[in-house]
Amino acid sequence: MAVYFEDVNIGQEMPKLVKGPIQKLQHVIYAGASGDFNPLHTDDDFARMVGMKDGVITHGMFIMGIIGQAITDWVPKKDLKKFGVRFMGMTKPGNTITVTGNVVDKIEDGNIIVCEVQAADESGDIKATGRFTAKFPNRDK
Amino acid sequence: MADKTKVGKEYPPVVWEVERGKIRELVRAIGDPNPVYTDRDAAVAEGYKDVPASPTFLTIPAMWCNVLATVLLDASVNVAMVLHGEEEYEYLTEIYPGDILTGVPKLVSVEEKESKSGRMMHMVTIEIDYTNQHGEKAARARTLIVERM
Repeated sequence: MAVYFEDVNIGQEMPKLVKGPIQKLQHVIYAGASGDFNPLHTDDDFARMVGMKDGVITHGMFIMGIIGQAITDWVPKKDLKKFGVRFMGMTKPGNTITVTGNVVDKIEDGNIIVCEVQAADESGDIKATGRFTAKFPNRDK
Repeated sequence: MADKTKVGKEYPPVVWEVERGKIRELVRAIGDPNPVYTDRDAAVAEGYKDVPASPTFLTIPAMWCNVLATVLLDASVNVAMVLHGEEEYEYLTEIYPGDILTGVPKLVSVEEKESKSGRMMHMVTIEIDYTNQHGEKAARARTLIVERM
């Protein structure tokens, strides 16, 4: 279902996405897919050795990936122009991540919508914040 | 410790052939069920030529080609003390199975910053400009790595 430029307003929330609880197996699958084999994400003994008392932590790019899922559930990939995140905190297996976002700017020239997004866990701890810009279609085109 | 004299340096290009299976593998790992990334017919119905690469796909050539490690080690960054601070993508054209991407990594800046706890950090920014086999600019990836001192 297409979302049109005319229908989007500053302050509007994008549909939220809830994912989890994250399982360690997902870290292994993500490591293989992405090519990020840092044992910090897959080997509890290694993670404890480098100071993570609870063991492995989730890949930051996995969190960016689920933010990307939330975005392209709402905006088609082809209309996404720019997408960036800042990693704010570590995610651990067992966390449930909720992605939310809201429209912060609407630029008539080019039909550009700017949104801020964030991913937080079940306690409200923010794992990543970000922003994306997307070009929205007009209703009559 | 990050060597500021390397700022501006470009590194040898990396070449990555985009495979349908790798696009599927990444969305499977993320748990994104959107059929546009896995089902060609669904993608074509949405106006794509084929299944497009998902928003964070460009992490794959960067990681599998060891781009970050190559740049960080050349710039004398202590890789045992790094954190991934930020990641940003600019999408300039759609990326499809069969595309051959050439990425040119560049060390764009090294800045010193003090953390809230008073610890010195180096903020190291690396960009990779990707061009496809048609010579079109495909995307730009920007990675901020934080080196704790």
